[in-house]
Amino acid sequence: MDTTTNDLNMNLFDRVLDKLCLTPIGLAGLILLLLLPFIPPFNQEYMLRWLIYCGFVAAMSVGFDFTAGYINIVNFGYMAVAGTGGYTSALLVINAGLSPWIAMLAGGVSSAVLGLIIGMISLRLRGIFAACLSWFFGLAVMGLATKMVWLTRGPMGLRTPRLFETESNFPFYFLIIILVYLIYLICKWVVRSKMGLAFQAIAQNMDAARTSGINPVFYRVFNFTMSCAIAGVLGGFYAHFYGILTPDMMHTSKTVEILAVAYIGGRGSLWGGAVVAFPFIFLMEIVRSTLSHLPGLNLVIYALVLILVMIYYPGGFSYFYDTHIRQPKNRALRYFLNGREAKA
Amino acid sequence: MSKHNMSDTVTWLKSAPGLSIVISIVVAVAATIDAGPYLLVNMVVTGGMLALVATGLTLMLGVLNIPMFAHGEYFMIGSLTAYYIFTPISEFILEHPDSWLVTFGPFIAILGALIGGAIAGVISEKLVFGPLRRRSTDNWVMNSFLLTVGVSVLLVNLHQLIFGADFKGIVGYWQGMPISIAGAYISLDRALAFIISAVIVALFYLFMTYTRTGMAIRAVSQDITGAEIVGIDIEKIVMLTISLACALAAVAGGSLLFMYPSYPTVGLEPLYMAWFVVILSGLGNILGAVAGAFIVSLLKVITMEYVGAGWDFVVPSALIMLILIFKPSGIFGSDVRGVLDK
Repeated sequence: MDTTTNDLNMNLFDRVLDKLCLTPIGLAGLILLLLLPFIPPFNQEYMLRWLIYCGFVAAMSVGFDFTAGYINIVNFGYMAVAGTGGYTSALLVINAGLSPWIAMLAGGVSSAVLGLIIGMISLRLRGIFAACLSWFFGLAVMGLATKMVWLTRGPMGLRTPRLFETESNFPFYFLIIILVYLIYLICKWVVRSKMGLAFQAIAQNMDAARTSGINPVFYRVFNFTMSCAIAGVLGGFYAHFYGILTPDMMHTSKTVEILAVAYIGGRGSLWGGAVVAFPFIFLMEIVRSTLSHLPGLNLVIYALVLILVMIYYPGGFSYFYDTHIRQPKNRALRYFLNGREAKA
Repeated sequence: MSKHNMSDTVTWLKSAPGLSIVISIVVAVAATIDAGPYLLVNMVVTGGMLALVATGLTLMLGVLNIPMFAHGEYFMIGSLTAYYIFTPISEFILEHPDSWLVTFGPFIAILGALIGGAIAGVISEKLVFGPLRRRSTDNWVMNSFLLTVGVSVLLVNLHQLIFGADFKGIVGYWQGMPISIAGAYISLDRALAFIISAVIVALFYLFMTYTRTGMAIRAVSQDITGAEIVGIDIEKIVMLTISLACALAAVAGGSLLFMYPSYPTVGLEPLYMAWFVVILSGLGNILGAVAGAFIVSLLKVITMEYVGAGWDFVVPSALIMLILIFKPSGIFGSDVRGVLDK
């Protein structure tokens, strides 16, 4: 993992880039994403809708990887947590008349509380048991959302006002790209600090971490709370973008989608899932819409990719990138891919 | 002597397994008196089915350390196989009502489900789990879990792609008057489904306890190196375990075709319930899984009766979370650890 480098040899541009946790190629990618809606095939509204969904999955997978990649606990109820945030936000807007922007943050807070609870009760459990606990939690929350019809209107769906008053998808696209980047940045800052080291120590060997003075209770609960807060804000975005919320969004299969993208992207990298989500989800949407007489084909491809990656390349895309692309001979290209490296 | 036995019994009653079994029996009896015997019948039939699925799951988890997320899909494969075997049989029965197939046709369908499940298990071991095991076993539990997630999505959507998303169900296996026990009418299908699951679970238990192969499976689950030293063929045992576990789920799907028609995501409910059972009863414990299956089905039936349909995920999962908080290893938890958990 990389730590902050305060090397005097770096010029201002490199230092700013380093603080922003970007490499030159990352910056180029971000600019490309921001320009994408102006490039012809992507400037149609339906394409933009797909791209927004890509962005949503990308941002979710960053938050998911923050838990799965760093403290090695798969939060299997992640979409249910996001759904809680979405419902909280939607209900606050509808019943209390709050602005959707503030309600989104309130959704984040409600999900953080949920994350705090899951984090606390899963403390004694490890690995697959913690995953199961969060899964059951997600099932219970989804059941509640389905059955509390007086509040959530259940499967009939809750209509929510959109964040922007326009019919156009443009502002939503820029918002989700900014959200993806902000979430990545926050997670990366936390991971770069001492806390990141503590997370990895806990993931590898909790007893050893405890002996060296790391308090696993604090770090695990903090990690869970933060990643759930991210999910909550994104759930709020989901609610106020699509304009309709059903308990279906909390379903386990949606979590599986996030999980697949995060793992294909590469666990423990944070950026892998975000990078993979755009081309991958976009292609899946193309398959789904063009081959609509073959329902489920996109998910078959999806599952096959997940299986093949898990068997033959468990490190995912980020591992592939690190081992094969990152170290070219050409120095300019090397700078482009890695940024200025601190001189020892 | 008898006094000694008494104190043993009292200790057992005070332990978590004793306490939970006694409480569930009391609750079951109270609810039966209150609401009627059909509740008990529902509980027993669901519990029998759940016991089959959950023992398969326990086997996978206990012996191979694979937290199987795709187990419901083998349930689906079983029900699909049974449907495609039984449909021609029922047409034949319509034309020839006196044929021997009237009685034995359903058994052929259920047997077909069993074989179909076993074959599906062998194929998934060959194509999916085997390659992963040969490549690497570090972080095995999580990797194999994600792999089964992929398998689950794959099988569900292959079903939808090939056979369509509509319900493929039958009216019933056996025609005939329902049996009446203590004022409750049990259809022949339900009674026989329960008997089939009871017989299979009993056979499975005897197989695991008394035959050499069953002992070999248990040896592998306790210590893979030791098992290899005494000359057990690990590959063979792994293959056998997977096909057995999948066959158990598939036979549950086949024998319950009249209750759960086959459609792509039919396996989700048995999967959730079986995971409840496995978490509740602890890992690698077959008898615990059987007891847990009845406790979970009791929870489900009681929730449906007194709280309402649709709450049957909320209440049991909340209770199981409570149990996990206070007893992370489950009620009947044992210390047996799986092979690849290092």
